[in-house]
Amino acid sequence: MLFNDYPFLLVFLPAALLIYRLADSYPAARIGVQVALSLAFYAWGSPSFIVLLVASIAINWLASVVYGRVKWRMLLTLVIVLDLAVLALFKYANFLLANLGLVLGTTLPSLDIGLPLGISFFTFHHIMYLADLKRGRAPLYTLDRYALYIVFFPQAIAGPLARWSEVMHQFGKQVYVPGWQRTFCIAICFIAFGLFEKVVIADSIAHLLDPIYAQAISGPLPAGDAWLAFCFSFQILFDFSGYSDIAIGLGLLFGVQLPYNFNAPLRSTNIQDFWQRWHITLMLFLRDYVFYPLVNMRLLPRRLLPLQFFGAMLVTMALCGLWHGASWTFVLWGVLHGLAQVACSLWRRYGPRFPAWLGWALTVLFVLATGVIFRAGSVEAAWHIFSELISPLPLERGKHLWPLIAAPLFAFLLPASQDIVAMLTRRPNPWLAGLLGLGLFALLLHMGGRDLHEFVYFKF
Amino acid sequence: MNSSTSSSETDLGWGRSLLACLGALAGAALLVLALMVVVDPYDSGKLGLLGIDGVDNRLTQITAASRARNPDFNAAIFGNSTAQMIKPAELSAATGLRFVQLYMTGANAREQLAVLDFYLRNHAKVGALVFSADPGWCVHARPKEAGVPFPYWLYDKSVLTYAVRSISWQALEQVFQRISIGLGRRPRMNPDGFVSYEDIWPPGQFKEIGWPRDPAPAISAEMRATFPEIAALGSVVSRLPTDVPVVIVVPPTFADTVPKPGTETARERQACDAALKAVVAGRSRSNFISYRVDNELTRDRASFADFIHYRPVLARKIEQGIIASLQDGERAKIDF
Repeated sequence: MLFNDYPFLLVFLPAALLIYRLADSYPAARIGVQVALSLAFYAWGSPSFIVLLVASIAINWLASVVYGRVKWRMLLTLVIVLDLAVLALFKYANFLLANLGLVLGTTLPSLDIGLPLGISFFTFHHIMYLADLKRGRAPLYTLDRYALYIVFFPQAIAGPLARWSEVMHQFGKQVYVPGWQRTFCIAICFIAFGLFEKVVIADSIAHLLDPIYAQAISGPLPAGDAWLAFCFSFQILFDFSGYSDIAIGLGLLFGVQLPYNFNAPLRSTNIQDFWQRWHITLMLFLRDYVFYPLVNMRLLPRRLLPLQFFGAMLVTMALCGLWHGASWTFVLWGVLHGLAQVACSLWRRYGPRFPAWLGWALTVLFVLATGVIFRAGSVEAAWHIFSELISPLPLERGKHLWPLIAAPLFAFLLPASQDIVAMLTRRPNPWLAGLLGLGLFALLLHMGGRDLHEFVYFKF
Repeated sequence: MNSSTSSSETDLGWGRSLLACLGALAGAALLVLALMVVVDPYDSGKLGLLGIDGVDNRLTQITAASRARNPDFNAAIFGNSTAQMIKPAELSAATGLRFVQLYMTGANAREQLAVLDFYLRNHAKVGALVFSADPGWCVHARPKEAGVPFPYWLYDKSVLTYAVRSISWQALEQVFQRISIGLGRRPRMNPDGFVSYEDIWPPGQFKEIGWPRDPAPAISAEMRATFPEIAALGSVVSRLPTDVPVVIVVPPTFADTVPKPGTETARERQACDAALKAVVAGRSRSNFISYRVDNELTRDRASFADFIHYRPVLARKIEQGIIASLQDGERAKIDF
């Protein structure tokens, strides 16, 4: 089930709100009802993998309970390894087999397995909790609360990657308390804003770019198409930022404030700044659970610590790339971003000061260029796009290019969506709210006549 | 003003805002839904209280519904743009039946079957059916749906799905067009559905595009005999009364694209032709005709707009073949 489809918006969401409204008066029922609703949501979208999700919750929770009694740290390490092994099986097994085949000079058979919806995200949720439990920073939780942490439907499929410490205490709180109307107005604002980003901006760009990238796989592009393909990063920005905003809005409707995931990243003035504003929750996860442990390992002598620091930066970003997909192209994309961060870090320390506008322009160009590699699927396809950038801009297409004019303007000029929502909901305004309602309906009309596009991040 | 009063006033303000938001949303939705119920945006017959006939739209996937349920026609031509040039009026004049064109641009076999089902649900008595079976009918496994999704919701039985799917800008635009048709301010599309593509591909031009998409060769003998789309068509045809004539034509393609005898593609084509022939076998005044041959006519570029879209000179030949078949069945003399 997609957040931008009628079954979710017209059936599941109203039903879930109604059911939870009834349960809200019974404190003992709140978490259980939310778990049931979330499992129903997951089962609707990915019924074959519901058993995997439930088993994963049960095993991780049981491990935490046993650890609470015996304090055997190895147990948590083993369960984390198991979580990663399951993720590797579903997501990387065929990639590993293909590469092993290349090394052995043979073709190994590939496994016919699908990717369970949201497996990367629920695996990371498990790891965040178990790693912190091992470090003595996390308490034990009851099964229903832990289950809700993993399956809470607004964030179960593609994040934001909320930490246990950010959401556990919010689960089970009464939603319909004085002030709930304001929270709901904010939530609807987030949902409307997210739907606009997704169905109007991102999907319109996808409509232009999908055939171009399909063509790039087989050969060179017609003149001008490469410039459109170069703009893919705008699509993924509004696609994922839109998804995150909808998730935040949905979270609020069920009494949970999820962390923000984007902060106007294409207004960054350097690549380090960019990675603090783009997919924020993933980068915080990678920082705390990959980068810091790598930096703090005693691997190299003290005088070589800067080398270890930059090495950790590269490895973290390469893993970030690999997380996005089982392909060397994603790894290349991650390594390029790692190198850019190393270069940026060195430049900031030793180089002359950049004017902000130049830093911004270079950052945007780098993000757009690497975005082509990210989307193209192969270096050859990316090259077909880069090599055609010498052709002139396809200005003759005029109004058909509106998404690629609107998207950069929004990305460069507007503040983050949470700041826009905060500004719009500073004080109650029924007229503005009425317009919001009409805007939402216009978005529903827009969705009704278009082909459905999955959120890009669902496949990660 | 103390803080509790201020807080409750603020809550009241937010309550009003929430109400205004949801009220505007629900009000607009009800208004649009009411319009859909009254007008029936696509003339599907599932909704509509005003009784407006016809539509005005070039999207054949959408407009086929209006034509398919038109009781003025008792015979139909199914296919994609490779059926488009067959004139229903010519068939009607020669046979005494009333033919309607139900071609849909780019439609695959499954989509044509959906329209066939819709047509049969709306016509208790059928005079004749004509199918233009392009290579898409010869697949050995149903392909995954790709590209712009086909509006199956328009042709299935569900009124609820249709009503929900009608909440769209496109449907709203259709509503206003249909109201204009109802008021006599806008003409409806040609009811028999014939539109020549020579409007956009004028005579005298040949574009080297549109090579026929013959399916990949079967990997086994068993698979070669499996044609799921033809089987589905056969199942529908077998349920029709035996006196309903059915003519299946394989549309002509430019000679260079005709499978060369002795090749794997030619064997595939023969197997597909045999399966299509079996669909009409034993039916009165029914026939299977393959125009996909290498002859003088198909070698002439003037006979085609591209590799698969033929010009009127071939369309007339096909019409003659269909007319002859509707009179003499398999004994019909086909001049091609």
